[in-house]
Amino acid sequence: MSIQIVNVTKKFGNLEAVKDVTLEVKTGEFFTLLGPSGCGKTTLLRSIAGFNQPEKGEIYFNKKRVDKIATHKRGIGMVFQNYAVFPHLNVFNNVAYGLKARNFSADEIRPKVSRALQMVRLAGMEDRFPNQLSGGQLQRVAIARALVIEPQVLLMDEPLSNLDAKLRVEMRSEIRELQQSMKITTLYVTHDQEEALSISDRIAVMNHGVVEQMGEPWEIYNTPVNRFVAGFIGTTNFFEGTLISEQGGQGIVQVSEIKMKVSAHSPCVGEKVSFAIRPEAFKVAQEITEAERSCFLSLPGRVNKVEYLGFMTKYDLELCRGLSVKVVSYDVLPQHLRKTGETIELCYDPQRVLIC
Amino acid sequence: MKSRFWSLTTILIFLIFFFFMILPVLNLFTGSFQTQEKGAFTLQNYLSFFHYPSYWRSLWNSILIGLISAAGAMIVGVPMGYMVSRWNVMGKSLIVTLSTLPLMLPTFIAAFAWVILLGRGGIITKFLQTWGIHIGSIYGYPGMILVFVSQLYSYVFLMTLSGFSAVDESIEEAGCSLGSSQLRTFWTVSLPLVLPTILSGAILTFMSAIENFGVPMIIAQQTPNLVVKAYIEFTSEVGTHPGMAYTLSIFLILITMASLVAQRYYLSKRNFIQAARGKPKVKQLTPGKRLLASGIIYAFLIFTLIPFFVALVLSFMEMRGPVFYPRFSLQSYVYAFSRSARPIFNSYFLATISTLVAVLIGVPTGYILTRRKSAYSNALDIVIMLPFVIAGTILGIALITFFNQGWIVLTGTWVILVLSYVIRKMPFIARSSASILYQLDPSLDEASISLGVSPMKTFYKVTFRLMMGGVVSGAILSWVTIISELSSTLVLRSPSWSTMTVEMYQGVVSDDLGKAAAFSSIMIISTVIPLLLATKYFSKDKGGGILL
Repeated sequence: MSIQIVNVTKKFGNLEAVKDVTLEVKTGEFFTLLGPSGCGKTTLLRSIAGFNQPEKGEIYFNKKRVDKIATHKRGIGMVFQNYAVFPHLNVFNNVAYGLKARNFSADEIRPKVSRALQMVRLAGMEDRFPNQLSGGQLQRVAIARALVIEPQVLLMDEPLSNLDAKLRVEMRSEIRELQQSMKITTLYVTHDQEEALSISDRIAVMNHGVVEQMGEPWEIYNTPVNRFVAGFIGTTNFFEGTLISEQGGQGIVQVSEIKMKVSAHSPCVGEKVSFAIRPEAFKVAQEITEAERSCFLSLPGRVNKVEYLGFMTKYDLELCRGLSVKVVSYDVLPQHLRKTGETIELCYDPQRVLIC
Repeated sequence: MKSRFWSLTTILIFLIFFFFMILPVLNLFTGSFQTQEKGAFTLQNYLSFFHYPSYWRSLWNSILIGLISAAGAMIVGVPMGYMVSRWNVMGKSLIVTLSTLPLMLPTFIAAFAWVILLGRGGIITKFLQTWGIHIGSIYGYPGMILVFVSQLYSYVFLMTLSGFSAVDESIEEAGCSLGSSQLRTFWTVSLPLVLPTILSGAILTFMSAIENFGVPMIIAQQTPNLVVKAYIEFTSEVGTHPGMAYTLSIFLILITMASLVAQRYYLSKRNFIQAARGKPKVKQLTPGKRLLASGIIYAFLIFTLIPFFVALVLSFMEMRGPVFYPRFSLQSYVYAFSRSARPIFNSYFLATISTLVAVLIGVPTGYILTRRKSAYSNALDIVIMLPFVIAGTILGIALITFFNQGWIVLTGTWVILVLSYVIRKMPFIARSSASILYQLDPSLDEASISLGVSPMKTFYKVTFRLMMGGVVSGAILSWVTIISELSSTLVLRSPSWSTMTVEMYQGVVSDDLGKAAAFSSIMIISTVIPLLLATKYFSKDKGGGILL
């Protein structure tokens, strides 16, 4: 089952929460709407569910138009941010709720429910009531309840945001595994970029009601199309300067008091250029190989701050007055660890500069 | 279609309140400016009010008694609330249950019983006289304050209890960590935090005291308050002055309205209590002190319930006229059931019908207030607050005047009684439904709909099921308070639609004390049993929560 969203606009009063969004979720795909709060991602999800009616546009499930169909007839499964597990029903009846609405007999319901509970690793909890369950267990009940009805599409609205950090990481891989095993078309909403990158086949980054960029996780991360996407996904150093020379696809940009090399189809000499370099694209000079050194460009920088986190070390470096960058080094050997106040040489591959 | 249904419901509720409350009360207002015969404009009623001491003194009596009762309720309720919240006194849930009972039981039974004990020919009075001790008269202020403080202190107690239980432990610890002693922290941190809540309780006590009709009727004698004076002016056999009754009513409404505005718009905005993250520590007293503290609390609770024990005991005693003899007898009950079976039936019938109607209107109202928010629902929120400021007697006078003639005549029928009960109880049901709905996550409905259940069915299978417990306990509380309603009933009843409360009241004023005791006892039982059932089966929401 695929989902097509064509020119959908949803307004709340004068506010356009979703502006003319068009996208397609392919059959069996895990598709994520990612963006800051208020970007319209939940509104769009709720339009697909039918909890709100878009002012403009069409929504199709497999070429069949559904935006005028009532929610309960759309054949969706939905998982909510705050679980929405019925407090007056035990685990079994929560999961059986949708099956009963579909008039399955008691004999059919029982095996289906226990299979669903097994899937989310809650077998044996049938008689528990929601107030006896932890947050993680409640979300598993909610997932089992949404999956047991074998929905055509699964809609998930920030399902992990109420869980603690460790559980969140565990649950997201479980959700991914379930989705893969059932090959169910899934639309997932989150504001957590790490979660989105780890779980999705494709991501649409949203801001102010529009889709800024759509693509596979690596595309979104490595080739952000604009400053918003570059800034929202991961940490980034932004630079702004003037292109002072260009030769064979390599340009020199004057940024504040220093010159930086960029490799790109950049504008004409004399024009303003803004670009971004990821903290992990920088290398501290003594950590790189000779081969790399030859093609890398190096800059001197003064260490302002060191944050040692074991598996990685974060530096704040000052390249010149008023220009600081964040740098991340992984697996730093003790003898390579720099101290505050030292000056070090910083290298980067011009190929990894993101022009934006 | 769905939204049209709710719009129609909203309009219908508005119409009900407009026709059966707002118009009658407005009619009362214009009536206070009209001459009795021709209906011409006059200020005579207001001039008389300020001219004759018997009128303006009744206003003074109302205010003073209200204030003293509220102060008394604070003197008792605040320390008691603090102790139950912060000390390990024994049987806390029992204390809460016993403290809600006086709020539910008819206050005029308490007044009646205290007169039997301490009145002119009272049991205790006489006993003390044989020893040469003369206690002062309880008629007038002392008696009214005694009854109001002992029956209404719970508003302050329950508010204080919930207030002190909700102060975050870390806030007090922060006070202590900044070098403030425990006592200083109490005066500078804890008490100021809880004070708005305490004052809300005090205002409720104040309003209940000045709207109360039965207690001053029985015990005020030479110091009638506004309600009693209005009733007398309206019904007096020696020439009625309805215009004057309306004027007195307007004064009473002005006071209650000011109190409610103070509570809603001043105090509730200063409510600093948030959901506590860390429950405050309960102080572990030494066994001796614990026993002492618990003893004091239970002694007071028993004191507040004495009148009801007295009424129960007296109802099983033999009596001749106003004199009881210490012998077991069912005479009073035989008399009550044989001569006045109809009022018993009437009370149950009216309470049941009125409760059902109040639930039928109140639950959708609560739904509109929480889930269908709009300019209309905000207006509805204000409209359903109005019955709180209109004393039963005043509503009774307004209804009987308005529906006495014209195109709907209801005066003298049972419908007008039901009407007044519904108008007064429906807001409780609406409020308690709204408070349950506030706690219910709207995504529960959405989850059900997303699983393939239609919105209508979802309302029944999810929302309604989850609300039911709260609605049933709200309905029981309404039923119980209708059973013991006297103020509007006494104005609105007709000879064939008398109720237990009216019979009991007439027993008191005609010195037929056996009848009064028997009806009191039936009322007490009719109140206590449903309340016990309600707390047993729906104990999640404590009575206080719905009351306030």
